[in-house]
Amino acid sequence: MAAKGTTWQIVRPRSQIHLFGSAFWSFDHIWDAEVALYHAGFDGQFVNCGASLESLCPIGEKRMLKRTGPGFLQTKVSLTLLGVVAVFTALSYVILRMIIAPAFGDLEIEAAATDIVRVEGAMQTSADNLAAITADWAPWDSIFQYTRGENPAFRKSNLEGLTLENLDLDILAVFAQDGTMMWSKVLVDGAERPTSELGVFNAENATSARLTKHTELTSRTIGIVQTGLGPALISSRAIIRSDDTGPVSGAIVMGQFLNDTRLQRLKERTEVGVEWLFANDGVAASMLPAKAEISPGEMTIDISDAKITSYKMFADINGDPLLLVQTSTPRKISALGTQTVNAGLLFLGIAGVLVTIVMWFLLRHTILSPLELLAAHINRIRESGDLTHRSGLNTSDEIGLLARQFDSMTMEVHDTRQALLDESFKAGKADMAAEVLHNIRNAMTPMINGVERLSRSFEVPSKLRVADAIVELRNPNCAPERREKFLQYLDISFKHVEETSHVASEDLEMVTVQARQVEAILSDQERFANVTPVTEDLPVNEVVSEAAHVIPKGATPAVHLDIDENLADFHVCAHKTGLLQVLGNLILNAFESIQRAEKHSGEIQFRASDAVLDDKPMIRLTVRDNGRGFSQKIGKRIFQRGFTSKEIASSNGLGLHWCANAVAGMGGRIFAESPGEGQGAEFHVLLPAAQGA
Amino acid sequence: MEICEGERLIRVLIADDDEHVLDCYRDAFTEKEPTNHMKALDALAAELFDPETDIVDQPKFEIVSCCQGDDAISLAQEAADSGSPFDVVILDVRMPPGIDGVEAGSRIRAMDPDVEIIFVTGFPDVPLEELQRRVPPPIKLHYFDKPLSFTQLVLDVASMVRTH
Repeated sequence: MAAKGTTWQIVRPRSQIHLFGSAFWSFDHIWDAEVALYHAGFDGQFVNCGASLESLCPIGEKRMLKRTGPGFLQTKVSLTLLGVVAVFTALSYVILRMIIAPAFGDLEIEAAATDIVRVEGAMQTSADNLAAITADWAPWDSIFQYTRGENPAFRKSNLEGLTLENLDLDILAVFAQDGTMMWSKVLVDGAERPTSELGVFNAENATSARLTKHTELTSRTIGIVQTGLGPALISSRAIIRSDDTGPVSGAIVMGQFLNDTRLQRLKERTEVGVEWLFANDGVAASMLPAKAEISPGEMTIDISDAKITSYKMFADINGDPLLLVQTSTPRKISALGTQTVNAGLLFLGIAGVLVTIVMWFLLRHTILSPLELLAAHINRIRESGDLTHRSGLNTSDEIGLLARQFDSMTMEVHDTRQALLDESFKAGKADMAAEVLHNIRNAMTPMINGVERLSRSFEVPSKLRVADAIVELRNPNCAPERREKFLQYLDISFKHVEETSHVASEDLEMVTVQARQVEAILSDQERFANVTPVTEDLPVNEVVSEAAHVIPKGATPAVHLDIDENLADFHVCAHKTGLLQVLGNLILNAFESIQRAEKHSGEIQFRASDAVLDDKPMIRLTVRDNGRGFSQKIGKRIFQRGFTSKEIASSNGLGLHWCANAVAGMGGRIFAESPGEGQGAEFHVLLPAAQGA
Repeated sequence: MEICEGERLIRVLIADDDEHVLDCYRDAFTEKEPTNHMKALDALAAELFDPETDIVDQPKFEIVSCCQGDDAISLAQEAADSGSPFDVVILDVRMPPGIDGVEAGSRIRAMDPDVEIIFVTGFPDVPLEELQRRVPPPIKLHYFDKPLSFTQLVLDVASMVRTH
């Protein structure tokens, strides 16, 4: 029962699945046929399961294989890495810009506030120093007596000369208890100026009164006063005895102009960019409007891109706004912060990119590429069904271990499949033999019966007593009645023999029919054995390499196999097992020819080239040896059946005749050449080129 | 067919899927009616010649045949039920598409422990040990390979019945 489109068959209904090759071809032929499984149902009907190797692949696995094309995982991992880096960079940007950078601004504002506090503190220190000098002079008996007119020499000994310079004063004035100025001196940039230009002591106003008239022993005044020569820090105190007893005899006034020199000193002491602006100053007026609402003692901050400007208003001794102190703090912290944030972002960006690149290469080298190789390996096995193909992954990591275990598993599957097919083949072959024997013996049974009947028929004449009857008839004394009966016996005997011969003829015909049935059974088997083997696309180099194993290891003489590298470029369309046997036979012949040439070493070359046979593209495979060769006379008969010579002998029992038939069966041609005895030989095998090769 | 008094027919059931083989069985077990020529020759020979050999009584058989194992079981059951069981059952081992001869023999043995069962096959694919296990006892089990001599088979069948 032939299976359509395949060389596999089930020989009889069974509840098991049996496979076996197109009978009487080599067993290896199993691999060359497309596998089709036939399942025999209990009703004896055969059902083609269509279970090709590919269809046996689980659906889920097939889907997976379709989805995981080359580079799919690599792209996925790359996009994931890029996504992680992008999110990380965005988060870093937000954190640095929204949280870190503003913190630098706050720090800067705090520093600006601190600056103006430091300036204020420095100015207070100056005022305290001036107050201390005043407090040193006021409770002093000498000046007490001077103001009472009792010590005129005090003027010369203590007031005149370099007293102002020594005390770092610009204004020094002594007043009697009634407010009369007893002595005064005013220096502007080291030059003495009339005290009247101050415009403070010669007017009847609150400022003058607060400075020149004290009634209490501890009365004192200190503050900023706008004078005619500029704003000044002025300290005034009641003059009393050295033992702090009264009565109050007058007032001593000391002052320091708030000029550029002192501003410079203030800057040096505070290391702050400070400016002071006065209410009656034109420059200050132009700068003040925006800050005109600032009350004395208040502080405000103006923030621009370049700097933070802090303002604080100070009042004069009367409580009126007079001095606006301005500190400028360059936004170095913000600039440094921005620079730091930018540097941080740049660093994080570069680090992210570097980490991504390193991770990508690391993943590619250690995971992605091996996985791709493994996937390609699995795909190749799925497509080719070649379970002997190895992955080649020898890394010591888990993927390498996985690959080796997969290779081991596929080899086990291969061995199991081989064993299964072996068993199936043997079982199928046994079934075939049993069936054939059964049919032949069934056909022979009537033959045996017919022959026995024939045998009995041939015994009939010997059982007849024809000879005795003739003897009696020759006897002249035989009575006529008895003679007549003998003649009648003879007549009936001949008729009986004739009748028996007719039956024997029928039996012979039956035996002939049964013999033809046996012959028909054998013919069926012969047709079955001649099923054309499956051909496939075969790389020539692989077939040659495999066939070359026929030379036993360590055989003498040593033979060098010269296999041209370009054999890999040639693919033939042939039956693999048949071609392996042909090439193996040629290689063994070459080896034995080298042995017969009694050489210490030999060489067998394999070359391939394109050829054309009957307008069809062919591949010419040449096996050349440097063995004994053969004569032209031998060459003509070399492929004849049963031909052997001392020059050509086959050791594997197949022979060159079989090779020629096998190559012809594959649509090819084989021929041999030799320059002569002792000069080696060339065997050329022409096979159809594989399509697309 | 003439049956002398005291002479018993040997009942034989034969199952084989090959009609040609069944014909052979029938031919072998069926006594041939002498033709007119043979009768005339025998009469003349008795009158003209001295007798040479003693006439040997030939066993006589009643043959029932079928071509499937199931049919063999049914026929054996009917024979047993009617009180005339078969003396010998000859079964081909392979009789597709139905049950094989071994299965049929096993069931027939179950209904008739005394029947002689002969298995005949063209290919010995069932070991003798398995046959003996499935169709005991061994003394009533016989095995022949095809092609077989029907002359010898007839003699063997006759002898195994006479040894009862």
